[in-house]
Amino acid sequence: MAPLLAVARTIDRINEFIGKWVSWCILAAVLVSAGNAVIRKTLNMSSNAWLELQWYLFGAAFLLSAAYTLKQNEHIRIDIVYGMFSRRKQHWIDLFGHVFFLMPFVVLMIVYFVPYVSLSYRIGESSASAGGLVLWPAKSLLLIGFSMLGLQGVSEIIKKMAIMRGDMDDPTPFISAHEQAELDAKALAEEIRA
Amino acid sequence: MIEFIAQNMAPIMFVSLFAFLMLGYPVAFSLAANGLLFFFIGVELAPYSNNSINLAWPLLYALPERFWGIMSNETLLAIPFFTFMGIVLERSGMAEDLLETVGQLFGPIRGGLAYAVIFVGALLAATTGVVAASVIAMGLISLPIMLRYGYDRRVSTGVIAASGTLAQIIPPSLVLIVLADQLGRSVGDMYTAALIPGLVLTSLYVGYILLMTFIRRDSMPALPPEARTLGSGVLSLIVAVVAVVVIAYIAHILLSPTQGSNADILGVSVGVIVIYIAAIADKSLGFGLMSRLAQLVIIVLIPPLALIFLVLGTIFLGIATPTEGGAMGAVGALLMAAAKGRLSLDVIRQALASTTRLSAFVMFILIGARVFSLTFYGVNGHLWVEHLLVSTPGGQIGFLIVVNLLVFFLAFFLDFFELAFIIVPLLAPAAEALGIDLIWFGILLAVNMQTSFMHPPFGFALFYLRSVAARTPYRDKMTGKTIQPITTGQIYWGAVPFVCIQVIMVGLLIAFPQMVMHYKGETVDPSQIEIVVPPFGGDQPALGLPNFGAPPADDGTPAPAAPPAFDLSQPPKF
Repeated sequence: MAPLLAVARTIDRINEFIGKWVSWCILAAVLVSAGNAVIRKTLNMSSNAWLELQWYLFGAAFLLSAAYTLKQNEHIRIDIVYGMFSRRKQHWIDLFGHVFFLMPFVVLMIVYFVPYVSLSYRIGESSASAGGLVLWPAKSLLLIGFSMLGLQGVSEIIKKMAIMRGDMDDPTPFISAHEQAELDAKALAEEIRA
Repeated sequence: MIEFIAQNMAPIMFVSLFAFLMLGYPVAFSLAANGLLFFFIGVELAPYSNNSINLAWPLLYALPERFWGIMSNETLLAIPFFTFMGIVLERSGMAEDLLETVGQLFGPIRGGLAYAVIFVGALLAATTGVVAASVIAMGLISLPIMLRYGYDRRVSTGVIAASGTLAQIIPPSLVLIVLADQLGRSVGDMYTAALIPGLVLTSLYVGYILLMTFIRRDSMPALPPEARTLGSGVLSLIVAVVAVVVIAYIAHILLSPTQGSNADILGVSVGVIVIYIAAIADKSLGFGLMSRLAQLVIIVLIPPLALIFLVLGTIFLGIATPTEGGAMGAVGALLMAAAKGRLSLDVIRQALASTTRLSAFVMFILIGARVFSLTFYGVNGHLWVEHLLVSTPGGQIGFLIVVNLLVFFLAFFLDFFELAFIIVPLLAPAAEALGIDLIWFGILLAVNMQTSFMHPPFGFALFYLRSVAARTPYRDKMTGKTIQPITTGQIYWGAVPFVCIQVIMVGLLIAFPQMVMHYKGETVDPSQIEIVVPPFGGDQPALGLPNFGAPPADDGTPAPAAPPAFDLSQPPKF
């Protein structure tokens, strides 16, 4: 189990590093979009490249952080039934989901993204609008994002088995959506009182 | 047996989707897995299906292009922008300042604190758009004051929870963005349409409080004079408001020769800026021109109003797209937080992290929903749902009642992102087939989904309030009296009248569509409303595209009709 867990930890570290840094893309997208609006109104200029840059940046943010979001167990679930099960059963559901829901989908998509992106790269596809950006880097974000998600899936499966065997502590104990809401509210309340 | 399954794939798939979702694995991947599983089953069973399954392996090649469509959708870009803006504002202390000042302004009248909560709730809805932030700020600041002066507990908790949920229906709410995207309408239209229903709903809340102050005079007493910490000075505030109007009018006259039609806005801006600077100067230099109440009200109220103008004003005036409005609002929120000294690297980092997390799970639900819909349409699921819903008795009204009940109950366990991405796309074609305007439909659903936030026992607004309201008796700092805790029962019962108001609002919207229809830009006589929908299937001869620029077939007119101009102001829909 130990070497597998080392693999999982490495994957976690990479995805966490990328997932945290990529959130700055959102701030960049905000500034680019606000800048576009102001410049268009005041100088009567507009550039398709800058207009496209804003959703390039957003695409990078949500695609490259999906794996980290999975690691943090923050993709939302409907926990009405799930919450009634014992933690042991929840582990089984998670493991089942990782193996039969997540991985087949992600792997299949990677198989389809490879020709999709490489075609775009080979023909040097660029945006249809005048002065637009080159498209293949944006399209490869899809491939990269899903590959990271696939790796995270592997890591989650390894960790889940280790948790179920008692080899490691549960990093994300179950908290229902409503308990989470109360926790968030408490944290915000602390901040307001301070 | 195989034939039976093959010919009833759509209902089987739909029921199994609920089983998949209820299992509790993340929604995004459950949706995708369900879509793929039934894709494989569908391809295998297609020969037995009597042509009701149109699935083949090459169809999977459509998926990358569909995901690309999600990624390059400019409308959805408004989601992170408004989310980021809301989180930055919730850290800026704006809500707290507003509640304290407006509470002082309205406090001296009966029910004043409740009016203040509603008014601030509407203001916050138009800026932060975050239910949690509004409810928590009100629960921390207004609730203790209400309890101190003997407000009825149920009314107090109810009005706080309900006012917080206004963020769901008053633009720039995320719900409206997502619904506009899923219904294939423009966000700008959705915002314009939501404005009047939002205000009507707010006035219904106010009306309820007013009614309560008459029915039970002691349920919401006026604040005693010693509680009015900012003193009186309403007269001074009225003078200041008159001054703004006069300055704005003079500026308008002076500016109109050079600025033309922009003079209105510029004039008002000049008036507002002058009074804002005057209030700040008066406060810091101690001239004593205005009462303290007037100073504070002006200083606290103008920045949020300016922000609302920056975001909604520019969208409604057509200066900015909703996405750009969101970006400018986010920048405005950063500036406001910085001006209050509440902006730190840590605040930005946290806000970005929360925004990214929300973006990732929302966009992946959408991605999962696209996989699901690829298969579901392939097994003619949309036809099945449409048939099921169009055949409801009672035509439009019957359909709307059934759908609203359905969404009301589904909202107990699905949140609005899931409803919008899974259920709404199935309802939209049926609504359109019945001649229902999709913007009207969207607003109805938005009011309906708003209710789920305050519906006991699962409503999230109630949970936020529960977590900040006192659970144990405490000594009030001002009066020294012991205040009894708020029970969960009081919170639940307090919400009930407001849930009823929501139901009334849905009824009003169904009865008076003109509340929404003004988005089309002209007054619409309800008896004249006739929405023409291109026929789908049936015995109509031509299904499909209008003849874009096709040369006329028979009458020999030489030039083909010009192709319709594409509306480039809106992002393409996929």
